[in-house]
Amino acid sequence: MKMDVVISGVGGQGNIFASVVISQFAMNKKLNVFGAETIGAAQRGGSVVSHIRIAEGAIYSPLISRGQADLLVGMECVEMLRHLRLLNPKGTYLLNSMRIQTVLNNMGLDEYPTHEEILLAARKYCPNGYVIEASALAKKLGNIQMTNVVMLGALVKIMPFFDYEGVKWLIEANSPERFKEANIKGFEEGFKLIN
Amino acid sequence: MGEKRYVMGDAAIARGALEAGVRVVAGYPGTPATEIVDECLGVPGVHVEWANNEKVAFELCTGASLCHVRAMPVMKHNGTNFVTDFLMHVNFTGIRGGLVLISADDPGGLSSQNEEDTRILVHQYAHLPIFDPCSPQEAKMMVMEAFDLSEKTELVFCLRPVTRVCHARGIIEFKDLPKNLPAAHYEPDRERFIMSAVEMPKFGGVKRPQIRHRWLNEKQPLLQEIMEGSPYNWAEKGEGKIGLIGCGMGYTLVKEAEQYLNQKLPLLKLGTLPLPRKKIKEFVKGLEKVVIFEETEPFVEGLFKKIFQEEKIAVDVLGRSGFVPSDGELTLQMILETVSKAAPKVKVAQPEVPTIDVHIPIRTRTQCVGCNYRGILNALKQTVRKYKGIVAGDIGCHDAGSFRPMELQSTIYCMGSSVPMASGMVLSGVNRPVFAFIGDSTFYHNGILGLMNAATNKINVNVILGENTVTAMTGFQPHPGTGVTLAGEKTIPVNVPKLAESLGISYRVVNPYDIKECREALEAAVKEEGPSLIVSSMPCYLLSTRRGQKVFEPREVRLDPERCNGCMICINDFGCPAISFDKQKKKVAIDPMICVGCALCIDVCKRGAIT
Repeated sequence: MKMDVVISGVGGQGNIFASVVISQFAMNKKLNVFGAETIGAAQRGGSVVSHIRIAEGAIYSPLISRGQADLLVGMECVEMLRHLRLLNPKGTYLLNSMRIQTVLNNMGLDEYPTHEEILLAARKYCPNGYVIEASALAKKLGNIQMTNVVMLGALVKIMPFFDYEGVKWLIEANSPERFKEANIKGFEEGFKLIN
Repeated sequence: MGEKRYVMGDAAIARGALEAGVRVVAGYPGTPATEIVDECLGVPGVHVEWANNEKVAFELCTGASLCHVRAMPVMKHNGTNFVTDFLMHVNFTGIRGGLVLISADDPGGLSSQNEEDTRILVHQYAHLPIFDPCSPQEAKMMVMEAFDLSEKTELVFCLRPVTRVCHARGIIEFKDLPKNLPAAHYEPDRERFIMSAVEMPKFGGVKRPQIRHRWLNEKQPLLQEIMEGSPYNWAEKGEGKIGLIGCGMGYTLVKEAEQYLNQKLPLLKLGTLPLPRKKIKEFVKGLEKVVIFEETEPFVEGLFKKIFQEEKIAVDVLGRSGFVPSDGELTLQMILETVSKAAPKVKVAQPEVPTIDVHIPIRTRTQCVGCNYRGILNALKQTVRKYKGIVAGDIGCHDAGSFRPMELQSTIYCMGSSVPMASGMVLSGVNRPVFAFIGDSTFYHNGILGLMNAATNKINVNVILGENTVTAMTGFQPHPGTGVTLAGEKTIPVNVPKLAESLGISYRVVNPYDIKECREALEAAVKEEGPSLIVSSMPCYLLSTRRGQKVFEPREVRLDPERCNGCMICINDFGCPAISFDKQKKKVAIDPMICVGCALCIDVCKRGAIT
């Protein structure tokens, strides 16, 4: 058994928190876990990607290579496309439909693909995908920073590898005291997003 | 009893040091090494601190080592460069308590101003031993052994982890920490610890530097013998006459690559410097060529060529002098392509993936939405345009002001370079106002020296100190202006106005959320003769938000499409990620999902379209 997970997003979206929860979940299942993250120089606004490798046997590289990821979690549209090549076309993706413009897009010097182009590119690459409005739900629940827990909720519904109680407990354990309740709520609502 | 935890490589290194009984840990923040210092915190009897620069950290650790306790200075490659002068003395004197230098390299410059290979500096230049880990688990074992070996050989040992080790996350066993560490004591040994050009009667009047150099040279056979028996070097059998050599992360990537190759090639894993000469000689028996994968310079490659020349071994040596790309981070793809090139008979089977035919825009980093730097940078942009000024930049979050769309700072080199470089521009006679923009952590690192120099020599430079009271870029480490230590104890922050007074230079303190105030202060500085200091003072927005503190009263910001004429000043001179340009409507739009209501853009818009 192996499961390679890539989480891509923009700095500040809570990418690292999600990767820690997934990794600890696998570790609690007595599996081997190894991974890496690229945390850019700036605290927010840069491209951030986490690699999580889960297996029964030995894992060498902390980075997932082309076509090897079983699951790609895109917390932002363009950032998912940027790492789409890592996904096995027979794998699964979960995309948050959030669009965070780049500096050059804002200046009118570059083109951010349309939502239709993004969905088409993802579908053409991998038929098994889910697109949710996690950030919009998080904002509605009171804090856009909860995008990550909303997505973890959806993930539990999609991937049989995870179980509801196990992930919920880890979210609670890893959240600072004042965010515990809100994060659990976000997780529960995210779970309901997928039918 | 051990406990298994899933942690970063940096935490593994920290744990290794703690389990080895380290007593003093000091460093300066720098990606990818920062978390090592943070992770050492919280153990009674272990002093952990952020020093104001790496040289201070290293010297402090050496002082502790001379009192027979274990110490660990922590830095990234730039810091090791900064420490070179001290390194070239402590290598001659040696140490007492185990002293392990952590010098983290960042191949590819993922979070750095340059990429380089500090193995050359530490091993080739300072003749000190190095461990080059291939994983967080190995890094932990290496740091523990390095403390023992440092004491045994009386030499500084170095651990050189790369970003993919520091920022990898893996399962690490946490064992109990040692109790009852030996007490510190000091005995003078002036023949050793006074590094000076003094004649040594014992050696017929030869001067001390030469004798200490000889001492270091005489240590080399012992190091050689230790590395020959090291558990971090081993050979793996394979077929054929082409051997692969994996140093540190290079080994890890070759192991990852093996699953895609239809043949197992002989593989030699190396993790030490000096190299295990006998092991290498044994490994290459019967081989025609070897390909060396190392981060980043062809350094081990050069040492192989030297060994082969001395030992008269006729085996071709290929590696990062051109056969493997000579710049950037090693990747799996690089390994596979190189193996195909070196051994065309070996088949590489990697999964094909569909092409993606949609344009993917590049994302460059910028300041956070709500960051106070955006206010002072905008005021500076306006001032520079008006007076044809030049801005020398420095390292920190504000450096993104040099990228598009602001394109404000004209130079960025290393920590503290902005003020002296700006001073030099003034002295060139360029006859334009010159500004230096520096953050506070960098200012205390060594930028303060440039300011003193400008004051002493009466240089007409305008220095802007972006005082956000924390080292924000690397994750909010305290510095001498913060008023708190790493351990959370209150301390007295440096009083910058009093400092400016003592230097006899003019200073103005401004609120960066008030662009008008900033602009007025900048203009006044331009108009006066002699050095001027502008202190743009406000705590970091992101850190304040995390702590539940407000640095501004958030308000809803609206764009009036009737008034907006699409001039794009708010984008090109301000660069807030929440503001974008709608090409169809030829007007800007503010994304309420991203905007945090700092309201700075209201001042930026000259038409009053933002309210």
